[in-house]
Amino acid sequence: MDKKTVTTISYLSRLKIDPEKEEKITNDLENIIKFVDQLNDAETSDIEPLTNPLEKTAKTRTDQVTAKNLKKELLEIGPSSNEDYFLVPRVVE
Amino acid sequence: MIWETVIGLEIHAQLSTKSKLFSGGSTKFGAESNTHVDLVDMGLPGVLPVANKEAFYKAIKFGLATGAQINQISSFDRKNYFYPDLPKGYQITQMTKPIVEKGSIKVSTENGEKIINITRAHLEEDAGKSIHDLFEGETGVDLNRAGTPLLEIVSEPEISTAKEAVAYFKAIRQLVTFLDICDGNMAQGSMRCDVNVSIKKIDDKELGTRAELKNINSFKFIEKAINFEIERQIAVIESGESVVQETRLYDSDKNETRSMRSKEEANDYRYFPCPDLLPVVISDKELNEIKDNLPELPEEKQNRYISEIGLESSEAKIISSSKAMADMFEEASKKTDDAKMIAKWLVGDISALLNKENIEIDESKLSPENFGKLIKRISDNTISGKIAKSVLEEVWENGNDVDEIIKAKGLIQIQDESLLEQIAIQVLDSNPDQVAAYRSGKDKLLGFFVGQVMKETQGKANPKSVNVILKKILS
Repeated sequence: MDKKTVTTISYLSRLKIDPEKEEKITNDLENIIKFVDQLNDAETSDIEPLTNPLEKTAKTRTDQVTAKNLKKELLEIGPSSNEDYFLVPRVVE
Repeated sequence: MIWETVIGLEIHAQLSTKSKLFSGGSTKFGAESNTHVDLVDMGLPGVLPVANKEAFYKAIKFGLATGAQINQISSFDRKNYFYPDLPKGYQITQMTKPIVEKGSIKVSTENGEKIINITRAHLEEDAGKSIHDLFEGETGVDLNRAGTPLLEIVSEPEISTAKEAVAYFKAIRQLVTFLDICDGNMAQGSMRCDVNVSIKKIDDKELGTRAELKNINSFKFIEKAINFEIERQIAVIESGESVVQETRLYDSDKNETRSMRSKEEANDYRYFPCPDLLPVVISDKELNEIKDNLPELPEEKQNRYISEIGLESSEAKIISSSKAMADMFEEASKKTDDAKMIAKWLVGDISALLNKENIEIDESKLSPENFGKLIKRISDNTISGKIAKSVLEEVWENGNDVDEIIKAKGLIQIQDESLLEQIAIQVLDSNPDQVAAYRSGKDKLLGFFVGQVMKETQGKANPKSVNVILKKILS
Protein backbone atom coordinates (compact mmCIF):
# COMPACT_ATOMS: atom_id res chain seq x y z
CA MET A 1 0.00 0.00 0.00
CA ASP A 2 1.72 3.16 -1.15
CA LYS A 3 0.62 6.77 -1.18
CA LYS A 4 -0.34 6.61 -4.85
CA THR A 5 -2.75 3.74 -4.25
CA VAL A 6 -4.29 5.62 -1.35
CA THR A 7 -4.77 8.69 -3.53
CA THR A 8 -6.43 6.59 -6.24
CA ILE A 9 -8.75 4.86 -3.80
CA SER A 10 -9.69 8.14 -2.17
CA TYR A 11 -10.56 9.53 -5.61
CA LEU A 12 -12.58 6.46 -6.59
CA SER A 13 -14.55 6.54 -3.35
CA ARG A 14 -14.86 10.32 -3.38
CA LEU A 15 -13.45 10.55 0.15
CA LYS A 16 -11.16 13.47 0.78
CA ILE A 17 -8.03 12.71 2.76
CA ASP A 18 -6.33 15.41 4.76
CA PRO A 19 -2.73 15.55 3.43
CA GLU A 20 -1.41 15.59 6.99
CA LYS A 21 -3.12 12.30 7.71
CA GLU A 22 -2.07 10.66 4.47
CA GLU A 23 0.88 8.86 5.95
CA LYS A 24 -1.03 7.60 8.96
CA ILE A 25 -3.87 6.36 6.78
CA THR A 26 -1.45 4.62 4.45
CA ASN A 27 0.10 2.83 7.44
CA ASP A 28 -3.28 1.93 8.91
CA LEU A 29 -4.49 0.50 5.61
CA GLU A 30 -1.25 -1.39 5.22
CA ASN A 31 -1.77 -2.96 8.64
CA ILE A 32 -5.39 -3.84 7.89
CA ILE A 33 -4.37 -5.58 4.71
CA LYS A 34 -1.60 -7.47 6.49
CA PHE A 35 -4.10 -8.61 9.07
CA VAL A 36 -6.61 -9.79 6.47
CA ASP A 37 -3.82 -11.35 4.45
CA GLN A 38 -3.48 -14.06 7.08
CA LEU A 39 -6.45 -15.63 5.31
CA ASN A 40 -4.17 -16.37 2.39
CA ASP A 41 -2.36 -18.92 4.55
CA ALA A 42 -5.48 -21.06 4.80
CA GLU A 43 -5.69 -23.98 2.38
CA THR A 44 -8.72 -23.25 0.17
CA SER A 45 -7.99 -25.07 -3.08
CA ASP A 46 -10.82 -27.58 -2.53
CA ILE A 47 -13.36 -25.05 -1.33
CA GLU A 48 -16.02 -23.34 -3.43
CA PRO A 49 -15.88 -19.56 -3.17
CA LEU A 50 -18.57 -18.25 -0.84
CA THR A 51 -20.70 -15.35 -2.02
CA ASN A 52 -22.53 -15.03 1.26
CA PRO A 53 -21.91 -16.26 4.81
CA LEU A 54 -25.58 -17.14 5.25
CA GLU A 55 -26.35 -20.62 4.03
CA LYS A 56 -29.64 -19.48 2.67
CA THR A 57 -30.99 -18.51 -0.68
CA ALA A 58 -32.90 -15.42 -1.63
CA LYS A 59 -36.58 -14.77 -1.18
CA THR A 60 -37.86 -13.25 -4.38
CA ARG A 61 -40.71 -10.99 -5.43
CA THR A 62 -43.52 -11.59 -7.88
CA ASP A 63 -43.62 -9.07 -10.69
CA GLN A 64 -45.98 -6.48 -9.29
CA VAL A 65 -45.89 -2.71 -9.09
CA THR A 66 -46.20 -1.73 -5.46
CA ALA A 67 -44.48 1.66 -5.39
CA LYS A 68 -46.50 4.81 -4.92
CA ASN A 69 -45.75 8.05 -6.69
CA LEU A 70 -43.57 9.83 -4.14
CA LYS A 71 -42.20 12.40 -6.56
CA LYS A 72 -42.73 15.42 -4.35
CA GLU A 73 -41.40 13.81 -1.17
CA LEU A 74 -38.38 12.28 -2.87
CA LEU A 75 -37.38 15.47 -4.69
CA GLU A 76 -37.60 17.32 -1.40
CA ILE A 77 -34.98 15.16 0.30
CA GLY A 78 -32.50 15.67 -2.54
CA PRO A 79 -29.78 18.25 -1.80
CA SER A 80 -31.00 20.25 -4.80
CA SER A 81 -34.03 19.84 -7.02
CA ASN A 82 -36.70 21.68 -8.95
CA GLU A 83 -40.32 20.56 -9.42
CA ASP A 84 -39.32 17.78 -11.84
CA TYR A 85 -35.74 16.72 -11.39
CA PHE A 86 -32.96 16.23 -8.90
CA LEU A 87 -30.29 18.79 -9.78
CA VAL A 88 -26.56 18.19 -9.67
CA PRO A 89 -23.59 20.25 -10.84
CA ARG A 90 -23.41 19.97 -14.61
CA VAL A 91 -21.90 16.68 -15.77
CA VAL A 92 -20.59 16.86 -19.30
CA GLU A 93 -19.39 13.81 -21.12
CA MET B 1 -1.20 -4.66 -45.22
CA ILE B 2 -4.38 -6.70 -44.88
CA TRP B 3 -6.15 -6.16 -41.60
CA GLU B 4 -8.69 -8.40 -39.99
CA THR B 5 -11.44 -6.90 -37.88
CA VAL B 6 -12.59 -8.51 -34.65
CA ILE B 7 -15.91 -7.36 -33.19
CA GLY B 8 -17.80 -8.32 -30.07
CA LEU B 9 -21.18 -6.92 -29.02
CA GLU B 10 -22.66 -6.27 -25.61
CA ILE B 11 -26.38 -5.88 -26.11
CA HIS B 12 -28.54 -4.48 -23.36
CA ALA B 13 -32.10 -5.70 -23.70
CA GLN B 14 -34.62 -4.19 -21.34
CA LEU B 15 -36.72 -7.02 -19.96
CA SER B 16 -40.43 -6.37 -20.24
CA THR B 17 -41.36 -6.88 -16.62
CA LYS B 18 -43.99 -4.69 -15.00
CA SER B 19 -41.81 -3.83 -12.02
CA LYS B 20 -38.12 -3.23 -11.48
CA LEU B 21 -35.40 -5.77 -10.85
CA PHE B 22 -35.18 -5.13 -7.10
CA SER B 23 -38.21 -3.02 -6.23
CA GLY B 24 -41.90 -2.58 -6.86
CA GLY B 25 -41.31 0.56 -8.94
CA SER B 26 -43.03 0.60 -12.34
CA THR B 27 -40.94 0.17 -15.50
CA LYS B 28 -43.46 1.86 -17.79
CA PHE B 29 -41.82 4.03 -20.43
CA GLY B 30 -42.60 7.69 -20.88
CA ALA B 31 -44.00 8.51 -17.44
CA GLU B 32 -43.69 11.94 -15.87
CA SER B 33 -40.20 12.36 -14.41
CA ASN B 34 -39.42 10.78 -11.03
CA THR B 35 -42.91 9.31 -10.55
CA HIS B 36 -41.84 5.66 -10.83
CA VAL B 37 -39.22 5.72 -8.13
CA ASP B 38 -39.26 3.37 -5.19
CA LEU B 39 -37.21 3.92 -2.04
CA VAL B 40 -34.95 1.05 -3.16
CA ASP B 41 -34.34 2.74 -6.53
CA MET B 42 -33.34 5.87 -4.63
CA GLY B 43 -30.77 3.92 -2.64
CA LEU B 44 -32.08 5.33 0.62
CA PRO B 45 -30.46 4.07 3.84
CA GLY B 46 -32.08 1.05 5.43
CA VAL B 47 -33.80 -0.35 2.36
CA LEU B 48 -33.03 -3.77 0.90
CA PRO B 49 -33.37 -5.02 -2.66
CA VAL B 50 -35.52 -8.10 -3.35
CA ALA B 51 -35.06 -9.77 -6.73
CA ASN B 52 -37.95 -9.96 -9.19
CA LYS B 53 -38.40 -13.61 -10.16
CA GLU B 54 -39.98 -12.76 -13.49
CA ALA B 55 -36.73 -11.15 -14.68
CA PHE B 56 -35.00 -14.49 -14.04
CA TYR B 57 -37.67 -16.37 -15.95
CA LYS B 58 -37.27 -14.06 -18.92
CA ALA B 59 -33.48 -14.41 -18.86
CA ILE B 60 -33.87 -18.20 -18.70
CA LYS B 61 -36.13 -18.14 -21.77
CA PHE B 62 -33.33 -16.43 -23.63
CA GLY B 63 -30.85 -18.99 -22.36
CA LEU B 64 -33.00 -21.93 -23.43
CA ALA B 65 -33.64 -20.45 -26.86
CA THR B 66 -29.90 -20.04 -27.45
CA GLY B 67 -29.04 -23.52 -26.23
CA ALA B 68 -27.14 -22.06 -23.30
CA GLN B 69 -26.23 -23.33 -19.88
CA ILE B 70 -28.68 -22.10 -17.24
CA ASN B 71 -27.06 -21.50 -13.87
CA GLN B 72 -29.77 -22.49 -11.43
CA ILE B 73 -27.83 -20.76 -8.69
CA SER B 74 -26.80 -17.27 -9.67
CA SER B 75 -25.67 -14.35 -7.59
CA PHE B 76 -25.24 -10.59 -7.70
CA ASP B 77 -22.22 -8.34 -7.50
CA ARG B 78 -21.68 -4.64 -7.13
CA LYS B 79 -20.02 -2.64 -9.86
CA ASN B 80 -18.86 0.60 -8.28
CA TYR B 81 -18.72 3.95 -9.99
CA PHE B 82 -19.96 7.45 -9.36
CA TYR B 83 -22.45 9.08 -11.64
CA PRO B 84 -25.43 11.21 -10.60
CA ASP B 85 -28.00 8.95 -12.27
CA LEU B 86 -26.74 5.97 -10.26
CA PRO B 87 -28.07 6.81 -6.80
CA LYS B 88 -26.41 4.00 -4.84
CA GLY B 89 -22.93 4.63 -6.25
CA TYR B 90 -22.90 1.09 -7.60
CA GLN B 91 -24.81 -0.98 -10.10
CA ILE B 92 -26.07 -4.41 -9.08
CA THR B 93 -25.04 -6.89 -11.78
CA GLN B 94 -23.99 -10.52 -12.16
CA MET B 95 -20.24 -10.69 -12.54
CA THR B 96 -19.21 -14.07 -11.16
CA LYS B 97 -22.31 -16.23 -11.51
CA PRO B 98 -24.50 -15.03 -14.38
CA ILE B 99 -27.85 -16.68 -14.95
CA VAL B 100 -26.99 -17.68 -18.55
CA GLU B 101 -23.66 -18.82 -20.05
CA LYS B 102 -22.37 -20.33 -23.28
CA GLY B 103 -25.16 -20.04 -25.80
CA SER B 104 -25.16 -19.40 -29.51
CA ILE B 105 -27.34 -17.96 -32.25
CA LYS B 106 -27.61 -18.52 -35.97
CA VAL B 107 -27.17 -15.34 -38.00
CA SER B 108 -27.81 -14.83 -41.72
CA THR B 109 -24.94 -12.86 -43.20
CA GLU B 110 -24.00 -11.89 -46.73
CA ASN B 111 -21.86 -15.02 -46.85
CA GLY B 112 -24.55 -17.38 -45.64
CA GLU B 113 -25.39 -18.58 -42.17
CA LYS B 114 -22.94 -18.18 -39.32
CA ILE B 115 -23.12 -19.30 -35.71
CA ILE B 116 -22.12 -16.59 -33.24
CA ASN B 117 -21.37 -17.76 -29.73
CA ILE B 118 -22.76 -15.96 -26.73
CA THR B 119 -20.36 -15.82 -23.81
CA ARG B 120 -22.95 -14.96 -21.21
CA ALA B 121 -26.22 -13.18 -20.56
CA HIS B 122 -26.62 -11.67 -17.13
CA LEU B 123 -29.15 -9.64 -15.21
CA GLU B 124 -28.39 -6.12 -14.10
CA GLU B 125 -30.19 -2.92 -13.21
CA ASP B 126 -30.36 0.12 -15.46
CA ALA B 127 -29.34 3.61 -14.31
CA GLY B 128 -31.54 6.71 -14.31
CA LYS B 129 -31.39 9.40 -16.94
CA SER B 130 -29.32 12.57 -16.89
CA ILE B 131 -30.67 15.60 -18.68
CA HIS B 132 -27.80 17.87 -19.63
CA ASP B 133 -29.34 20.46 -21.89
CA LEU B 134 -32.32 21.71 -19.93
CA PHE B 135 -30.77 23.70 -17.11
CA GLU B 136 -28.07 26.35 -17.08
CA GLY B 137 -24.95 24.95 -15.44
CA GLU B 138 -26.80 22.03 -13.92
CA THR B 139 -27.76 18.50 -14.84
CA GLY B 140 -31.26 17.21 -14.12
CA VAL B 141 -31.71 13.63 -12.95
CA ASP B 142 -34.78 11.49 -13.61
CA LEU B 143 -34.72 8.19 -11.74
CA ASN B 144 -37.74 6.54 -13.41
CA ARG B 145 -35.47 4.16 -15.30
CA ALA B 146 -33.20 3.43 -12.33
CA GLY B 147 -33.50 -0.24 -11.40
CA THR B 148 -35.19 -1.38 -14.62
CA PRO B 149 -34.10 -4.95 -15.39
CA LEU B 150 -31.65 -5.41 -18.25
CA LEU B 151 -30.33 -8.57 -19.80
CA GLU B 152 -26.79 -7.91 -20.95
CA ILE B 153 -26.00 -10.30 -23.77
CA VAL B 154 -22.27 -10.60 -24.42
CA SER B 155 -21.07 -12.15 -27.67
CA GLU B 156 -17.73 -13.80 -28.25
CA PRO B 157 -15.40 -11.67 -30.39
CA GLU B 158 -16.35 -13.67 -33.46
CA ILE B 159 -17.95 -11.02 -35.63
CA SER B 160 -15.87 -9.94 -38.61
CA THR B 161 -17.65 -7.06 -40.31
CA ALA B 162 -19.94 -4.16 -39.51
CA LYS B 163 -22.69 -5.80 -41.56
CA GLU B 164 -22.30 -9.02 -39.63
CA ALA B 165 -22.58 -7.09 -36.36
CA VAL B 166 -25.87 -5.62 -37.58
CA ALA B 167 -27.11 -9.07 -38.65
CA TYR B 168 -26.24 -10.43 -35.21
CA PHE B 169 -28.05 -7.57 -33.46
CA LYS B 170 -31.09 -8.14 -35.68
CA ALA B 171 -31.08 -11.86 -34.88
CA ILE B 172 -30.96 -11.14 -31.15
CA ARG B 173 -33.73 -8.57 -31.50
CA GLN B 174 -35.88 -11.00 -33.45
CA LEU B 175 -35.32 -13.65 -30.79
CA VAL B 176 -36.08 -11.49 -27.73
CA THR B 177 -39.24 -10.12 -29.34
CA PHE B 178 -40.48 -13.61 -30.28
CA LEU B 179 -39.72 -14.78 -26.75
CA ASP B 180 -41.71 -11.79 -25.54
CA ILE B 181 -39.02 -10.86 -23.03
CA CYS B 182 -38.18 -7.43 -24.52
CA ASP B 183 -40.22 -5.15 -26.76
CA GLY B 184 -37.21 -4.51 -28.98
CA ASN B 185 -38.09 -0.83 -29.28
CA MET B 186 -34.83 0.84 -30.18
CA ALA B 187 -36.15 4.38 -30.33
CA GLN B 188 -37.23 4.11 -26.69
CA GLY B 189 -33.89 2.59 -25.74
CA SER B 190 -35.28 -0.89 -24.97
CA MET B 191 -32.31 -2.27 -26.87
CA ARG B 192 -28.90 -0.63 -26.94
CA CYS B 193 -25.47 -1.92 -27.60
CA ASP B 194 -21.80 -1.39 -26.87
CA VAL B 195 -19.43 -2.56 -29.56
CA ASN B 196 -15.87 -3.75 -28.99
CA VAL B 197 -13.74 -3.29 -32.08
CA SER B 198 -10.12 -4.20 -32.68
CA ILE B 199 -8.00 -4.98 -35.69
CA LYS B 200 -5.10 -7.35 -36.16
CA LYS B 201 -2.81 -8.55 -38.91
CA ILE B 202 -4.41 -11.47 -40.63
CA ASP B 203 -1.83 -14.00 -39.34
CA ASP B 204 -1.65 -12.70 -35.78
CA LYS B 205 -2.88 -15.09 -33.12
CA GLU B 206 -3.36 -12.41 -30.49
CA LEU B 207 -6.23 -9.92 -30.63
CA GLY B 208 -5.38 -6.25 -31.08
CA THR B 209 -6.14 -3.59 -28.49
CA ARG B 210 -9.84 -2.83 -28.57
CA ALA B 211 -11.88 0.31 -28.36
CA GLU B 212 -15.36 0.19 -26.90
CA LEU B 213 -18.07 2.15 -28.71
CA LYS B 214 -20.83 3.07 -26.27
CA ASN B 215 -24.57 3.09 -26.34
CA ILE B 216 -25.48 2.83 -29.98
CA ASN B 217 -29.19 2.47 -30.55
CA SER B 218 -29.86 2.00 -34.24
CA PHE B 219 -28.84 -0.56 -36.85
CA LYS B 220 -27.62 2.17 -39.16
CA PHE B 221 -25.36 3.70 -36.53
CA ILE B 222 -23.88 0.34 -35.51
CA GLU B 223 -22.69 -0.17 -39.04
CA LYS B 224 -21.42 3.38 -39.51
CA ALA B 225 -19.69 3.56 -36.13
CA ILE B 226 -17.87 0.26 -36.66
CA ASN B 227 -16.75 1.18 -40.16
CA PHE B 228 -15.47 4.55 -38.98
CA GLU B 229 -13.65 2.91 -36.07
CA ILE B 230 -11.98 0.27 -38.29
CA GLU B 231 -10.64 2.99 -40.59
CA ARG B 232 -9.45 5.02 -37.63
CA GLN B 233 -7.59 2.12 -36.05
CA ILE B 234 -5.93 1.17 -39.34
CA ALA B 235 -4.79 4.78 -39.77
CA VAL B 236 -3.45 4.90 -36.20
CA ILE B 237 -1.45 1.68 -36.58
CA GLU B 238 -0.20 2.42 -40.08
CA SER B 239 1.12 5.77 -38.91
CA GLY B 240 3.28 3.88 -36.42
CA GLU B 241 1.26 4.55 -33.29
CA SER B 242 -0.82 2.12 -31.26
CA VAL B 243 -4.50 1.91 -30.45
CA VAL B 244 -5.39 2.92 -26.89
CA GLN B 245 -7.86 0.81 -24.96
CA GLU B 246 -10.65 3.26 -24.26
CA THR B 247 -14.32 4.03 -24.48
CA ARG B 248 -15.35 6.05 -27.49
CA LEU B 249 -18.60 7.79 -28.25
CA TYR B 250 -20.16 7.63 -31.70
CA ASP B 251 -21.38 11.01 -32.91
CA SER B 252 -24.03 10.35 -35.55
CA ASP B 253 -24.12 13.99 -36.68
CA LYS B 254 -20.44 14.03 -37.58
CA ASN B 255 -20.18 10.28 -38.32
CA GLU B 256 -17.12 9.87 -36.13
CA THR B 257 -16.11 8.24 -32.88
CA ARG B 258 -14.26 10.20 -30.26
CA SER B 259 -12.64 9.49 -26.97
CA MET B 260 -15.04 9.70 -24.04
CA ARG B 261 -14.84 10.70 -20.41
CA SER B 262 -11.67 11.58 -18.64
CA LYS B 263 -12.64 9.25 -15.80
CA GLU B 264 -11.40 6.43 -17.99
CA GLU B 265 -8.01 6.51 -16.24
CA ALA B 266 -9.76 5.64 -13.01
CA ASN B 267 -11.95 2.98 -14.54
CA ASP B 268 -11.77 0.48 -11.74
CA TYR B 269 -15.15 -0.92 -10.87
CA ARG B 270 -14.00 -2.85 -7.78
CA TYR B 271 -16.53 -5.65 -8.23
CA PHE B 272 -17.47 -7.56 -5.12
CA PRO B 273 -20.39 -9.82 -4.12
CA CYS B 274 -23.42 -7.73 -3.17
CA PRO B 275 -23.91 -8.33 0.56
CA ASP B 276 -27.57 -7.25 0.33
CA LEU B 277 -28.58 -10.13 -1.90
CA LEU B 278 -28.45 -13.87 -1.37
CA PRO B 279 -27.93 -16.23 -4.30
CA VAL B 280 -31.13 -16.83 -6.27
CA VAL B 281 -32.05 -20.45 -6.88
CA ILE B 282 -34.17 -21.68 -9.76
CA SER B 283 -35.73 -25.08 -9.06
CA ASP B 284 -35.89 -27.92 -11.60
CA LYS B 285 -39.65 -27.52 -11.55
CA GLU B 286 -39.43 -23.85 -12.47
CA LEU B 287 -36.90 -24.57 -15.20
CA ASN B 288 -39.01 -27.33 -16.71
CA GLU B 289 -42.10 -25.19 -16.63
CA ILE B 290 -40.32 -22.47 -18.60
CA LYS B 291 -38.98 -25.07 -21.02
CA ASP B 292 -42.45 -26.49 -21.63
CA ASN B 293 -43.93 -23.07 -22.25
CA LEU B 294 -41.28 -21.65 -24.52
CA PRO B 295 -43.04 -19.82 -27.37
CA GLU B 296 -42.66 -20.87 -30.98
CA LEU B 297 -39.51 -19.37 -32.47
CA PRO B 298 -39.09 -17.82 -35.95
CA GLU B 299 -37.61 -20.91 -37.58
CA GLU B 300 -40.30 -23.19 -36.16
CA LYS B 301 -42.99 -20.77 -37.29
CA GLN B 302 -41.54 -20.62 -40.77
CA ASN B 303 -41.56 -24.42 -41.07
CA ARG B 304 -45.09 -24.69 -39.75
CA TYR B 305 -46.39 -22.04 -42.15
CA ILE B 306 -44.99 -24.07 -45.04
CA SER B 307 -45.98 -27.57 -43.94
CA GLU B 308 -49.32 -26.91 -42.26
CA ILE B 309 -50.72 -23.84 -43.98
CA GLY B 310 -49.08 -24.36 -47.34
CA LEU B 311 -47.40 -21.00 -47.76
CA GLU B 312 -44.58 -20.52 -50.25
CA SER B 313 -41.23 -20.63 -48.45
CA SER B 314 -40.48 -17.04 -49.46
CA GLU B 315 -43.79 -15.91 -47.92
CA ALA B 316 -43.21 -17.93 -44.76
CA LYS B 317 -39.78 -16.39 -44.38
CA ILE B 318 -41.00 -12.80 -44.66
CA ILE B 319 -43.95 -13.36 -42.34
CA SER B 320 -41.89 -15.10 -39.65
CA SER B 321 -39.16 -12.47 -39.82
CA SER B 322 -40.73 -10.28 -37.16
CA LYS B 323 -42.99 -10.94 -34.21
CA ALA B 324 -45.33 -8.14 -35.28
CA MET B 325 -45.73 -9.61 -38.77
CA ALA B 326 -46.25 -13.18 -37.49
CA ASP B 327 -48.80 -11.96 -34.93
CA MET B 328 -50.68 -10.06 -37.64
CA PHE B 329 -50.72 -13.12 -39.88
CA GLU B 330 -51.93 -15.46 -37.16
CA GLU B 331 -54.53 -13.10 -35.71
CA ALA B 332 -55.95 -12.06 -39.08
CA SER B 333 -56.06 -15.70 -40.22
CA LYS B 334 -58.45 -16.45 -37.36
CA LYS B 335 -60.97 -14.08 -38.96
CA THR B 336 -61.07 -15.85 -42.31
CA ASP B 337 -60.62 -19.32 -43.79
CA ASP B 338 -58.12 -18.09 -46.30
CA ALA B 339 -54.73 -17.86 -44.58
CA LYS B 340 -52.96 -18.11 -47.92
CA MET B 341 -54.71 -15.00 -49.17
CA ILE B 342 -53.77 -13.23 -45.91
CA ALA B 343 -50.15 -14.18 -46.60
CA LYS B 344 -50.29 -12.94 -50.20
CA TRP B 345 -51.56 -9.55 -49.09
CA LEU B 346 -49.06 -9.29 -46.25
CA VAL B 347 -46.12 -10.06 -48.47
CA GLY B 348 -47.47 -7.97 -51.35
CA ASP B 349 -49.50 -4.80 -50.89
CA ILE B 350 -48.97 -4.47 -47.16
CA SER B 351 -45.20 -4.98 -47.24
CA ALA B 352 -45.03 -2.37 -49.99
CA LEU B 353 -46.90 0.13 -47.80
CA LEU B 354 -44.67 -0.68 -44.82
CA ASN B 355 -41.50 -0.23 -46.86
CA LYS B 356 -42.75 3.04 -48.26
CA GLU B 357 -43.30 4.45 -44.78
CA ASN B 358 -40.43 2.53 -43.22
CA ILE B 359 -42.50 1.30 -40.28
CA GLU B 360 -43.31 -2.02 -38.65
CA ILE B 361 -46.77 -3.44 -39.05
CA ASP B 362 -47.70 -2.87 -35.39
CA GLU B 363 -47.05 0.83 -35.95
CA SER B 364 -49.66 0.97 -38.71
CA LYS B 365 -53.39 1.65 -38.31
CA LEU B 366 -54.26 -1.79 -39.66
CA SER B 367 -55.66 -4.10 -36.98
CA PRO B 368 -55.66 -7.88 -37.44
CA GLU B 369 -59.48 -7.90 -37.11
CA ASN B 370 -59.92 -5.33 -39.84
CA PHE B 371 -57.37 -7.00 -42.09
CA GLY B 372 -59.05 -10.39 -41.65
CA LYS B 373 -62.37 -8.77 -42.47
CA LEU B 374 -60.98 -7.25 -45.65
CA ILE B 375 -59.80 -10.63 -46.90
CA LYS B 376 -63.12 -12.18 -45.89
CA ARG B 377 -65.00 -9.62 -47.97
CA ILE B 378 -62.96 -10.63 -50.99
CA SER B 379 -63.52 -14.35 -50.50
CA ASP B 380 -67.27 -13.98 -49.91
CA ASN B 381 -67.50 -11.87 -53.10
CA THR B 382 -68.67 -8.71 -51.35
CA ILE B 383 -65.88 -6.76 -53.03
CA SER B 384 -63.41 -7.44 -55.79
CA GLY B 385 -59.68 -7.66 -55.23
CA LYS B 386 -59.26 -4.36 -56.99
CA ILE B 387 -61.74 -2.58 -54.75
CA ALA B 388 -60.06 -4.25 -51.77
CA LYS B 389 -56.87 -2.42 -52.64
CA SER B 390 -58.60 0.92 -52.44
CA VAL B 391 -60.31 -0.11 -49.19
CA LEU B 392 -56.89 -1.09 -47.80
CA GLU B 393 -55.53 2.31 -48.73
CA GLU B 394 -58.27 4.00 -46.78
CA VAL B 395 -57.84 1.71 -43.77
CA TRP B 396 -54.13 2.49 -43.92
CA GLU B 397 -54.90 6.20 -43.77
CA ASN B 398 -57.48 6.30 -41.02
CA GLY B 399 -57.95 2.82 -39.56
CA ASN B 400 -61.71 2.85 -40.23
CA ASP B 401 -63.73 -0.35 -40.19
CA VAL B 402 -63.66 -2.25 -43.50
CA ASP B 403 -67.41 -2.88 -43.57
CA GLU B 404 -68.14 0.77 -42.79
CA ILE B 405 -65.93 1.89 -45.67
CA ILE B 406 -67.55 -0.56 -48.08
CA LYS B 407 -71.01 0.59 -47.02
CA ALA B 408 -70.28 4.31 -46.96
CA LYS B 409 -68.64 4.31 -50.37
CA GLY B 410 -71.11 1.89 -51.97
CA LEU B 411 -68.37 -0.49 -52.99
CA ILE B 412 -70.34 -3.70 -52.70
CA GLN B 413 -69.81 -5.89 -55.71
CA ILE B 414 -72.74 -5.96 -58.14
CA GLN B 415 -74.38 -9.36 -57.69
CA ASP B 416 -77.36 -8.54 -59.86
CA GLU B 417 -76.67 -10.48 -63.08
CA SER B 418 -79.34 -8.66 -65.09
CA LEU B 419 -77.76 -5.32 -64.21
CA LEU B 420 -74.36 -6.63 -65.34
CA GLU B 421 -75.92 -7.91 -68.54
CA GLN B 422 -77.43 -4.50 -69.17
CA ILE B 423 -74.07 -2.80 -68.71
CA ALA B 424 -72.34 -5.41 -70.89
CA ILE B 425 -74.82 -4.82 -73.73
CA GLN B 426 -74.26 -1.08 -73.40
CA VAL B 427 -70.50 -1.55 -73.65
CA LEU B 428 -70.80 -3.81 -76.71
CA ASP B 429 -73.22 -1.42 -78.40
CA SER B 430 -70.84 1.50 -78.04
CA ASN B 431 -67.89 -0.48 -79.45
CA PRO B 432 -69.26 -1.97 -82.71
CA ASP B 433 -65.85 -2.09 -84.44
CA GLN B 434 -64.28 -4.16 -81.67
CA VAL B 435 -67.29 -6.46 -81.58
CA ALA B 436 -66.91 -7.10 -85.30
CA ALA B 437 -63.19 -7.74 -84.86
CA TYR B 438 -63.88 -10.15 -81.97
CA ARG B 439 -66.37 -12.07 -84.03
CA SER B 440 -63.88 -12.38 -86.87
CA GLY B 441 -61.48 -14.17 -84.51
CA LYS B 442 -59.69 -11.58 -82.32
CA ASP B 443 -60.40 -13.45 -79.06
CA LYS B 444 -58.11 -11.23 -77.07
CA LEU B 445 -60.61 -8.38 -77.31
CA LEU B 446 -62.69 -10.09 -74.62
CA GLY B 447 -60.26 -8.66 -72.10
CA PHE B 448 -60.93 -5.19 -73.49
CA PHE B 449 -64.70 -5.64 -73.03
CA VAL B 450 -64.23 -6.91 -69.48
CA GLY B 451 -62.11 -3.87 -68.77
CA GLN B 452 -64.78 -1.55 -70.13
CA VAL B 453 -67.48 -3.17 -67.98
CA MET B 454 -65.23 -2.91 -64.92
CA LYS B 455 -64.71 0.75 -65.72
CA GLU B 456 -68.44 1.36 -66.11
CA THR B 457 -69.11 -0.31 -62.76
CA GLN B 458 -66.18 1.48 -61.09
CA GLY B 459 -64.60 -1.86 -60.33
CA LYS B 460 -67.64 -3.16 -58.49
CA ALA B 461 -68.29 -6.08 -60.82
CA ASN B 462 -66.77 -9.51 -60.36
CA PRO B 463 -64.47 -9.91 -63.39
CA LYS B 464 -65.20 -13.65 -63.55
CA SER B 465 -68.96 -13.11 -63.79
CA VAL B 466 -68.43 -10.35 -66.37
CA ASN B 467 -66.36 -12.75 -68.42
CA VAL B 468 -69.11 -15.35 -68.44
CA ILE B 469 -71.83 -12.81 -69.25
CA LEU B 470 -69.88 -11.26 -72.12
CA LYS B 471 -69.12 -14.65 -73.66
CA LYS B 472 -72.79 -15.55 -73.44
CA ILE B 473 -73.91 -12.35 -75.19
CA LEU B 474 -71.21 -12.52 -77.86
CA SER B 475 -71.81 -16.14 -78.76
